Amino acid sequence: MTARGALLVLGSIAAIALSVFVGPELAGPHAGFVLLELRVPRALVGALVGAALALAGACFQIVFNNPLATPSTVGTLAGATLGALGALVFGFEPDALGLPATTLFAFAGALLASFLVAAVAVSGRARMSDVLLAGIAVSLAAGAVATGVQYAADSRALFAATRWSLGQLPQVGYRGVFLLAPIVVLTSAVLLSQTRALSSFVLGEETAHAHGVHVRRLRALVLVTASLAVAACVAWCGPIAFVGLIVPHVVRLAMGPSIRSLLPLSLIAGAAFLTLSDALARSIIPGRELPVGVVTAALGAPALVLLILRARR
Amino acid sequence: MRLELDRVGVRVRNRELLADVSQSLEPGEIVALVGPNGAGKTTLLRAALGLVVPSAGHVRLDGRDVARLPPRERAAALAWLPQQPPLGEPLTVLEVVSAARFRYDEPSRASELAARRALERVRASELASAAITELSGGERQRVFTAAVLAQGARLALLDEPANHLDPAQQLDAYRLLGELAREGLGLLLVTHDVNLLNAVADPAQIVVLGLGRGRVAFRARLSAPELPELLGALFGIEFSAVSHAGRRLLLPVAGARAEAAR
Repeated sequence: MTARGALLVLGSIAAIALSVFVGPELAGPHAGFVLLELRVPRALVGALVGAALALAGACFQIVFNNPLATPSTVGTLAGATLGALGALVFGFEPDALGLPATTLFAFAGALLASFLVAAVAVSGRARMSDVLLAGIAVSLAAGAVATGVQYAADSRALFAATRWSLGQLPQVGYRGVFLLAPIVVLTSAVLLSQTRALSSFVLGEETAHAHGVHVRRLRALVLVTASLAVAACVAWCGPIAFVGLIVPHVVRLAMGPSIRSLLPLSLIAGAAFLTLSDALARSIIPGRELPVGVVTAALGAPALVLLILRARR
Repeated sequence: MRLELDRVGVRVRNRELLADVSQSLEPGEIVALVGPNGAGKTTLLRAALGLVVPSAGHVRLDGRDVARLPPRERAAALAWLPQQPPLGEPLTVLEVVSAARFRYDEPSRASELAARRALERVRASELASAAITELSGGERQRVFTAAVLAQGARLALLDEPANHLDPAQQLDAYRLLGELAREGLGLLLVTHDVNLLNAVADPAQIVVLGLGRGRVAFRARLSAPELPELLGALFGIEFSAVSHAGRRLLLPVAGARAEAAR
């Protein structure tokens, strides 16, 4: 690994570790509780979600050969939103598996939408551009249904749905960590193991075929694996924008070309970026919390523009 | 190792791209595909590779249907130099060439070593850490040729291997192909300039396959006396043969046939 890469890894780990000390000063009798039961688990969830979103974003940008691809290009987010909305509006009672109905329905919706799109990717002679269109179609359809559901909803459910759609890392406890960690670790391992095949993929699906890559199998593996991770994250935290889109680009621009470093560094940088954004979100306005998506956008968008300007100079 | 196209036909949405084309290729053999744009040359390579499924006939590798071969096994037999794809993701040259080692079950260090050797072979070692997106057309072409070498297949399907190259580099590229053929690589290559083939091997060893409108128009040795006439008929212009340093060169000229066509 290059010196720059090593620096990015160390910086990211430091950022995650230090993020738990951002915010009101830790003092008094509850300091230990605040640190260990509130901030540490929240930082860990942030790291897991950020890592999963950024890695999924990088993988999708490669398989779709499209720099605008995001973790929800395959309809994950629209499906999750519809699922969560349905659970809130129709008042399904919580607690299957001890999880809130919103989370379960969001997860189911996200999986349903993205697997539908993944099915297109493995069928017949579909090109990845067709799959991209299928993702847009599924997203639009889910959005339309969601609008219909909203129309039928009462104001309390609407308010809850809006809050959900702002996206937030969970407030208390290690439950999210225990739920997300196995999914994120497993899916990330699978995606990282495909680096070689993906670097053939960058040269075009047909070249990958000539190199001996099983193209349809790779597409399916990447879409399904990444969608699983993204669905779990979205279900648990709601939609968190910008991480999956911006982090891979920042890594590319900062580290130079190389797919072999892109995937692992996106994962680590994504973890640090979301954890840090969340720490800022809870401390910019004393006593109030901003939705973390506001901070990721406010930090990520200018950083990306700056790097693009620097790279094109 | 034997690639065999047996009366292959390809139809896409009622358009006939190839019809009744047969050709075989073995290690060390050289077959040059010529024909007007749209004659089906690229389609033939794609069919050989299993990228398009023939609507008629068969493509076989050692008697086995190429579409049913395990991908890595196919990659051990057939390498491909495509017309250049647009590249979205920036890769380093070393990564591009290493990617062609996918079929080998080897650590990435071994792939990189093989890639560096291949780059050396095409005299592009100094490009190893450059971004592929920042190379000139000629440099890219050499890098993709190195990738074909790195793949270590027995047969290579080359779609205009001298595309984007200046005359000196074109000659260089074809000489390299000649070296590879002498080392036992089988070549099926699309070209628009049969004279470059003189740099590959003895004209009597090279088969020229003329394709017109998806069908085999002729099959002749590069040394065949009737080749100028055949090429003339295929392209609808006249080819004049001149002799230079013991080699026959074919020059397209605006002759009587072209006038008649107008």
